[in-house]
Amino acid sequence: MSVAASPRGYIDRPRPSGLADVIDVILDKGLVIDAYVRVSLIGIEILTIDARIVIASVDTYLRFAEAVNRLDIAHDDTTHGLPELMESLTESGSSGKTKGVLEGAKESLFGGGDDDDDDDKQNSQSRSRSRSRASSRSGSSSSRSSRSRSGGGSSSGSSRSRKKSS
Amino acid sequence: MSEPAVYVYGVALAGCKGISTRGVDAARVRLLQHAGLTALLSDVSTDQLAAAREVRAHWRVLDEASESCTILPVRFGTVMESEDAVRERLLEPNGERLQGLLRELDGRVQLVLKGEYDEPQLLREVVRESNTISELRDRLREVPPEAGYYERIRLGELVAEHVGHRRAEDTRIALETLEPLSVAAREDEIRQADSAFNIAFLVDRDRLEAFNQGVRELAAELGDRIALRYVGPLPPYSFADVELDTEAAAWA
Repeated sequence: MSVAASPRGYIDRPRPSGLADVIDVILDKGLVIDAYVRVSLIGIEILTIDARIVIASVDTYLRFAEAVNRLDIAHDDTTHGLPELMESLTESGSSGKTKGVLEGAKESLFGGGDDDDDDDKQNSQSRSRSRSRASSRSGSSSSRSSRSRSGGGSSSGSSRSRKKSS
Repeated sequence: MSEPAVYVYGVALAGCKGISTRGVDAARVRLLQHAGLTALLSDVSTDQLAAAREVRAHWRVLDEASESCTILPVRFGTVMESEDAVRERLLEPNGERLQGLLRELDGRVQLVLKGEYDEPQLLREVVRESNTISELRDRLREVPPEAGYYERIRLGELVAEHVGHRRAEDTRIALETLEPLSVAAREDEIRQADSAFNIAFLVDRDRLEAFNQGVRELAAELGDRIALRYVGPLPPYSFADVELDTEAAAWA
């Protein structure tokens, strides 16, 4: 298990990493065994579905509009020189970016002391929203149910598969 | 739930070594061999498990297993009522199908490549490229924040649409470079507003170096616009996205 992030363009090979890098894969993928024998542990499905809603919503549009509005007009027509690149690098690390709810979920799942390196990029709004979801759900995560409308249908449906014959 | 049940991590052909990592609920992980398959299991006795710890345990157990054998991960949070249920309702009725899948995945690993835009840079380019967007933006700058709500939404929608075209194009570039070096590729959904793409690749272990080289080339091509996160090797989570029935006749 390893990861490499490219600091703008340079990538060598995978390097050691933490759960944060693979959490979406782990929560959302794998063999699905049918509902009658499966007991869901926690409200994971709800959290992953929420994450998709963030991408195409009025909230997202308003946030984009605001972000476009905030852009410094003076930069619009300049070509990319080094100073501007440096500036956008620092901006990307600063606050005010909305991340998907999953990022917030990550924090509510894994708390502060995790090896999660994305925490600083989170938006407090998505964080608190997912947190309240998680807690309201865990209270009711009940016994052996045949509930499990597992993430299966909803999530795998939206990922397109390209598979070659092997 | 007070009665004991069985947590299922994954299914392999054979040759898995014992697992030393503690599993979900801090239980010992055992191997159950049946019908030409090996299932990784542990006992669970509560239904109030702390999500964080258990996701981590699930991940670590599968990671350790994948060091010694090819394993199909089962979706996180899967619990069956007993070992007998695992034999009779999972392994037996799905034996051939699982063995076929496992043979196909043998010697192959999953690698995940995520691309992330630098948002201010991306939005500057979008504004530069689209007159409609830059004009609407300029007009809205004259309007007080309380007014122009719907136009603001319209602006954001246009930006999102433009970003969507960018994503499609950058995904195409990534696949063009890396798909030929892989056995299969699968686009996963975008979860963050600044994501460019999220693609899982199934790669032959002995072609890993070639794939790494492909990622380096892609990074050189996209690097001034997109930060890449390159994760793996992982067990083939994204290529085990199969729904199994637990009745023998159901899929025959």
